Amino acid sequence: MIRSLPITAFSLVNSLGVGDDAVAAGLARREAGLRPVAGAFDLPFETVVGAVDDTGFSELDGDLADWSTRSARIAARLIVEIEDPIRRARERWGDGRCAVIMGTSTAGADRTEAAYRQFIATGALPEDYDLWRHHTYGAVLHVIRELTGMRGPAYMLSTACTSSAKPLASAARLIASGAIDAALVGGIDTLCAMTLMGFHALGALDTSACRPFAADRAGISIGEGGAVMLLERAGDARVVLEGVGETSDAYHVSAPHPQGDGARRAMLAAIQAAEVLPSDIDFINAHGTGTRLNDAAEAMAIEAVCGTDVPVVSTKGYTGHTLGAAGATEAVLTAIGLERGEVPASVGATTVDEKIRIHVAANGATGRYRRAISNSFAFGGNNVSVLLRVP
Amino acid sequence: MSATTVGVAGVGVFVPGFADIAAWLTGQASEGAIRPTGELYPKRLRRRASTFSRALADVYAETTRSLDDDESVSLVIGSSIGEANTMIDLLDQMWREETALSPTRFAMSVHNAAAGMVTIATANTGFATSLGADFDTPAMALIEACGLVIERGQAAVVVCGDEPVPEKLVPPNHGWDMLAAGLLLVPVERAVHGTLSMPARAPASVPAPGLAAGLARNPQAGMLDLVDAIVRGRSGTVALDRGRGCGWTVAFERAAD
Repeated sequence: MIRSLPITAFSLVNSLGVGDDAVAAGLARREAGLRPVAGAFDLPFETVVGAVDDTGFSELDGDLADWSTRSARIAARLIVEIEDPIRRARERWGDGRCAVIMGTSTAGADRTEAAYRQFIATGALPEDYDLWRHHTYGAVLHVIRELTGMRGPAYMLSTACTSSAKPLASAARLIASGAIDAALVGGIDTLCAMTLMGFHALGALDTSACRPFAADRAGISIGEGGAVMLLERAGDARVVLEGVGETSDAYHVSAPHPQGDGARRAMLAAIQAAEVLPSDIDFINAHGTGTRLNDAAEAMAIEAVCGTDVPVVSTKGYTGHTLGAAGATEAVLTAIGLERGEVPASVGATTVDEKIRIHVAANGATGRYRRAISNSFAFGGNNVSVLLRVP
Repeated sequence: MSATTVGVAGVGVFVPGFADIAAWLTGQASEGAIRPTGELYPKRLRRRASTFSRALADVYAETTRSLDDDESVSLVIGSSIGEANTMIDLLDQMWREETALSPTRFAMSVHNAAAGMVTIATANTGFATSLGADFDTPAMALIEACGLVIERGQAAVVVCGDEPVPEKLVPPNHGWDMLAAGLLLVPVERAVHGTLSMPARAPASVPAPGLAAGLARNPQAGMLDLVDAIVRGRSGTVALDRGRGCGWTVAFERAAD
């Protein structure tokens, strides 16, 4: 992988708001964006979610009118935020040299759920439902390609909760190989009933706001949103991608390795790719879901790699776990922390689990930070660590 | 050869009715090969695996037959609809049967379920990914895999497959039959069958083989076309999307005899 690729622009949308300024303001206010789930999902249990307020999001129009799903509208909003840098990248590198590499776990599941519920009730899908425009990975990719004009490779990685962290590595590889010069990378996930019901069935869903690393943590809170970053061969960096580590646990389909072995190796691989030392890491944005097993395993992995002094935050107490969008969302939140010299308070970790020995930044931290790691771990034992640096 | 060229060292297919690549090539159909076995998986995993995941595992096993060490090979799974049938089963549980979801089936509904199970079955603690791009999935999976081989100088397995789309989600006669096909990609110097370029948009020169309509409609048919060209030694540019994607092709050059 080429060392030190510039991320020249980024944006994000989640329950804290739209754009990095709005989201950073929410972090600074320690404002959790988690609220009781609305009635639309008709759940037989209580929980809270990090829902995106999309009242200002326009329906897609013109040739894209039939593609206007919630995911597509989030994608469109993200692109608007960085349309000038995208245009400049196309002009500099050429449309065909610019890729779109995104991640998702749900794709258009929310739209298909609504359609299928009508099918169960009436025996017919809604007349306007179309699998290829409303559900598949290609649907959102089509919208992004049309809105950005990027004409290089376009694909959606789907590795559950690491889905949108992996595009950074894929894009960096393709730039290194000479296949492309720039890529819009990131991910989008939207709330849907099956996800909420599924995590509830696994016993992994908290009934109140999640509390990563807390002694009384009781599971995750689901969120939604998206984030994009523009990775280029060269350019003026907001932050620099220095390394990505990707490993597999080879242990269990839905449970983490108990000692966080795959997570440890992912962090070490990112550090090695960056050709730095663990002591060069100034803070870690943990995967930190709020489940008992995940947080315990990740804490062991962090302790093994970076010791017990480096500040660690989980931002899921603000946004909820945005699943397929989490990797990109948290990489951008890490970038914001580096730019502003602020580690957000790890909301919910009021009393840190005494078995967790890492330094959970319950009250946040400030400083002149240079490098940070963002962790993402997933079903299938899939692990990704992204190492970013300020320019 | 450019820096974006990789070698091909193994192939595999799962097409219902054909036991392996040799049977596919010679048209030797057999009733005993209708369903994938998933024998790669340990029994406890196999019980949970969908038919689709078993097909991907069968292709992985055939594709990597010549591989000495599959604990470190990079794994790329490509699929347009992934575990869509599992998703429909779960929605039926939720809303038709109004029962609690099966946590195991939910965990197995993710697109990378097969990738995770293959890494467990082969003790592979390295790289695994899963991706989709509708009818461009074969091309994009090859691009991802080529990038891995070039970056790491090590083998990568790419397996593309789709199970039949849930009939309830598409209009009549828009469905397709299951297929999966895979390649073992290696650095050029280790090539066995020949070499592949990084996919690009270019006119195809190798005619697509005749496929039954149900197979030809499968979004991964282009991967089967490529495997077919490789094992028959047909050098040239192979279309990867059967005209339904963005026009990605890949140049294959067979190894010298």
